[in-house]
Amino acid sequence: MVTLKIDGQEVAVPDGTTVLRAAQSVGVDIPTLCDHKELAPYGGCRMCLVEVEGARTLQPSCTLPASNNMVVLTNTPKVREARKFVLTLIFSERNHFCMYCPVSGGDCELQNSAYGEGMTHWPLQPNWQPFPMDASHEDFVLDNNRCILCRRCIRACGELVGNFTLGVEERGASTLVIADLGAPLGESTCISCGTCVQVCPTGALIDRAGVFQGREKDVAHVKTTCPGCSVGCGVEMIVRDNRLVRIEGDWDAPVNDGLLCQIGRFTPMKETRERLLTPLVRKDGALKAATWDEALGAIADKLKPLAGQNGAGIAAVTSPRLTAEALHDFEQLFGAKLGSPMVTSLEPQAATPFTPGMLDALKTADCVLVAGADLITQHQVAGFFIKRNLPKGAKLIVIDSADAGSGMTDIADKALIAPKGAEAQTLAGIVTDPAIAKLIAGATKPVIVVGKSVYWDAAVKLATALNATLISVQGAANSMAAAMYKLDKPFEPKGRQAVYVALGDAQITPALAQQIEGAPFVAVQASYVSQVTAMADVVLPVEMWTEQEGHYLNLEGRWQEAHRGINAPVNVWSNEKVFEALAERVGATLDGNWNPKEGA
Amino acid sequence: MAKPKVSMDWLAGCAGCEMSLLDMDERIVAVANLVDIRSTPITDLKVPDESGVDVGILSGAVNNTYNEEVALRMRSRSKCLVSLGDCAVFGGVVALRNFFKLEDALKRAYVETESTDGEGHVPNDPELCIPTEVRAVSDIVKVDVNVPGRPPDADVIFYVLSELGQGRIPELKGDKLHWH
Repeated sequence: MVTLKIDGQEVAVPDGTTVLRAAQSVGVDIPTLCDHKELAPYGGCRMCLVEVEGARTLQPSCTLPASNNMVVLTNTPKVREARKFVLTLIFSERNHFCMYCPVSGGDCELQNSAYGEGMTHWPLQPNWQPFPMDASHEDFVLDNNRCILCRRCIRACGELVGNFTLGVEERGASTLVIADLGAPLGESTCISCGTCVQVCPTGALIDRAGVFQGREKDVAHVKTTCPGCSVGCGVEMIVRDNRLVRIEGDWDAPVNDGLLCQIGRFTPMKETRERLLTPLVRKDGALKAATWDEALGAIADKLKPLAGQNGAGIAAVTSPRLTAEALHDFEQLFGAKLGSPMVTSLEPQAATPFTPGMLDALKTADCVLVAGADLITQHQVAGFFIKRNLPKGAKLIVIDSADAGSGMTDIADKALIAPKGAEAQTLAGIVTDPAIAKLIAGATKPVIVVGKSVYWDAAVKLATALNATLISVQGAANSMAAAMYKLDKPFEPKGRQAVYVALGDAQITPALAQQIEGAPFVAVQASYVSQVTAMADVVLPVEMWTEQEGHYLNLEGRWQEAHRGINAPVNVWSNEKVFEALAERVGATLDGNWNPKEGA
Repeated sequence: MAKPKVSMDWLAGCAGCEMSLLDMDERIVAVANLVDIRSTPITDLKVPDESGVDVGILSGAVNNTYNEEVALRMRSRSKCLVSLGDCAVFGGVVALRNFFKLEDALKRAYVETESTDGEGHVPNDPELCIPTEVRAVSDIVKVDVNVPGRPPDADVIFYVLSELGQGRIPELKGDKLHWH
């Protein structure tokens, strides 16, 4: 610990703490621009200059380690004058005219800094040189004219995401943020995670969907869990007037530390499917709008006589995107109460052992073995944790399947291809490869990531032998909960009298549409119109992810909460409410005991 | 003590700041009681007294040689010069033109405009003023009080005028300071 004095306040902080963080820890506010709590100190903007007793010049507090008996003053006339001068220079460099910038009015850290210093004008004339704009990306726009060269975007792209797409070209005032070696962003190696947009302090990186849709003072932030995959990233829905403005990563979320991938951040903003707003019942061959009473009645009349019929009865399948509460109700209704043996989820997976915090092991791993998983297109944030550690010396070994690559072959220290049918042997045999054995031998914190069940048994043995953390990245958002409720068998609706599909807001698969085709009776509860709802005899409209309350169990077995940011349309029900209403009509009650541990 | 004399004039602007001034509604009576309103673009007298005024207010950016003249005249005739609004303070929306060549901007405005019939030409009558690079007022004369805002809202203008009317220099901070 070191003890120092900041503006007369005694502060004790651990060794290596910067003066800026020490000041923040006791509530002393030092204005900053390039600093970001998730990024390494950079010292680029000079806004955080402070006076240090005995030092010849003002010191940047963000890169200055606190030391014993240091006396720091953060708000002297000299410091304030320097801040104003720094801002004057920044404003003079590019086009920082607030009047035509979308973040003006509370959302711009540069503008807020100027207000903080009471600047009524720019002492220096702006430079009229136009800088290039890059609008080639589908999700955001890069406007170098608004850039203050703090390099937060570049640091986030490398340090946090490990993608290293963004960088700079030229020098000094001519410096430009570019992608790759000057490629248009939309054609670059950018993976569209949008972390750069979230950290940009000015209007240099602008989110296309959310721009001009509401400033910070107009919107509400609602935290929830991303239902995109089983990583379970914490997200913030930015909401205005019951409308989703944009999605941001939650910096306080334990799983993702603020990171999101394109699927979590941008894809939901581009939803084009038609929403179901009322129950539908097939009459004379066509789906017609109906009341909930009619629709539930039609389903109950069909299901009740089929209860308990083993082979020819009911087949029920649910999306693992539903909340744990809904999955539990689903299993109880169709399994325990209606007695159907064919009650399962889409993309079923076996429950894998887990310990909450497994993903943290990935953040600090010095050797990662990825077997049969593509962390570039799925479970992407787990992939970020691996990629960002490679420049720090972490080793990466991948085993691609013959039919599906890992996407990481090019960046791996060693890549193997497992022949079809010999996946387990390939994994079990890797230690005999001298190059791999060498990579593994040097590791003190190895992690094995498995994406396909064929690798599982071999991976368990290997993990025990190497004392490695084993992570399974199979399944969708709530597949772990689905497995816990035994919704884990392959879906076989053939020969059943009635098929019930609880789709929620999930995308349908062609396979699902094929499987239910020709079934004598199909009931679907879903948020959107699809090929599957078109085949149904009864359709029930339910909430989508932004509208629900509930719980998710992520791949590392961490229970996380989902919260309502948007109120559902008036005639749209929650998944649980539908199951409860159906249960009532078939004469059953559901116990709602979705979490055995909490319920017990 | 005689009431302070106030004059206003406009440069390259949109009259938005003047509209915002009128938005103070009945409070304008209080301002009129406090100060002697002399020339303004929205009253009969257009030119500040040769004998000088206490407060001169300019809105709009300096866009051509005529604007320069008006700004220099207001500066020379007022004890305290106020830049009102983003265009006067920073160059504002007008300054967008500086990111292009002057000839290109004129050509776009007079020749290439979609509504130009037949052959357009850039006006070149020798009696016309000459367009220049767009500048903030403070780039050509000393400004005593900058009041940013696009436009500054009526409350801010009322505050500024009432302070000046009572012989104080207004201090813009907190809620009163905004650039947009």
